[in-house]
Amino acid sequence: MMTKLAPSPFLSIRGLRKSYGSLEALRGINLDLAPGEFLCLFGPNGAGKSTLLKIIATLLRPSSGKIRILDDDLENNPQEYRARLGMVSHQSFVYQDLTLLENLEFYAALYGVKDPRQRSLELLEQVNLADHYEMLAGNLSRGMQQRLTIARALLNDPELLLLDEPYTGLDEHAARVLRGQLQWLHDQQRTIIMVTHNLRRGMEAATRMGILVRGKLVYLQQKENIDPASFEELYFQKLEAV
Amino acid sequence: MSSLRQILFLLGKDLRIELRKKESLISMAFFGALILVILNIAAGIGKQVDADTGAGILWVAIIFSAVLGLGRVFAREKENGCVAALLISPISPGEIFIAKALVNFSLMLLSQLVLVPVFYVLFGSHFNADPLALVPILLLLNLGFSTTGTLVSAISAGTRRNEVLLPILLFPLILPLTALAVKATAGALATRPFSERLEQLEPMLAFCLIFSAAGYLLFPFAIRED
Repeated sequence: MMTKLAPSPFLSIRGLRKSYGSLEALRGINLDLAPGEFLCLFGPNGAGKSTLLKIIATLLRPSSGKIRILDDDLENNPQEYRARLGMVSHQSFVYQDLTLLENLEFYAALYGVKDPRQRSLELLEQVNLADHYEMLAGNLSRGMQQRLTIARALLNDPELLLLDEPYTGLDEHAARVLRGQLQWLHDQQRTIIMVTHNLRRGMEAATRMGILVRGKLVYLQQKENIDPASFEELYFQKLEAV
Repeated sequence: MSSLRQILFLLGKDLRIELRKKESLISMAFFGALILVILNIAAGIGKQVDADTGAGILWVAIIFSAVLGLGRVFAREKENGCVAALLISPISPGEIFIAKALVNFSLMLLSQLVLVPVFYVLFGSHFNADPLALVPILLLLNLGFSTTGTLVSAISAGTRRNEVLLPILLFPLILPLTALAVKATAGALATRPFSERLEQLEPMLAFCLIFSAAGYLLFPFAIRED
């Protein structure tokens, strides 16, 4: 009888640990993510959410453990690995003294995008900033800056998108626009990891949800197996248990 | 994508911002010129200084003004977390180091285009009339200062008292290079033979090569958070 092989994970994390002296920020994270999954990780401040994202983004070195995107190993092939990533943080990653178009063109050129100007204009159109392309990024509102950040993160057409508290500082309207863009990205089959402590925002978007407490992944479940009404209660139970 | 192209994109971006804002250039040139004027008053306006003193005065102005630009180049990357965006892009930390050192080198060179003529106006009526004699000394010091300074500014940019820490860490490191530059400059101002100046230029070159290599190798550790 033929056995059906499970598809190989897009992102694989094994035994990931990070310590700062005696403080253990991550304590043995194991995680597999299928292509096109949208994982939302919840956790209180200091749970290790941003540390995990920074390690996946290669901004921090893990104390031990392995991360792979398909065949690219973070340690052995960091440049190839990074070329497949995009990141949106609560920091905008844009230069205040460059225009919107100059910002995107610069990053597109760094990523070796074929026609940086054309790609930048396309993305500005997508995030509804095309009319402001000559404006200095420093003159944008917080919501507009966040849209520019999303455009920047998509320049290299990333297969894995990392979102670190992307709703921070956004008003309701800007948050709604961002929500729409995340849905669009998910529809485009991008694999997404978002970390947040905003349960409502996270639950809106994700297909899988996890809870990280004191550096440990204490809960991980597909969204269809979760009762949204009782998730908040479950979240606080997990926090108190640890 | 070639490393050279990525270095040029980063260099081009920094120079574009600098030429648009002129923050570093104006402050460097103005501060350096101010030092020269104050030292001119202290030495006695119109009084001739000897070549050794003149060389010291020129380098005090250049070195102190250069520190202003050095701090700014990394401060700009820290705003809005842009340094993180560079680190998660395919550009390597070594390429970032080369691009930033080139930015610092360019800013120093541009400010010297103001400071050297001001020095000649205030002090130089009796010195070697050929300022080109200073070119190899300026280029070598700029190279050593910008590579060492790029490494040190990456270290200090991650601290709260960046502006205090930068000169404290940097000046002891570049002291040998500066001392050699002062001596070589004194020789140039006094129109001593080039062969005599080679005694300083050769160790200056060695210093530059060692510090450039050390900066390139250590920069990835200086720029990362962990």
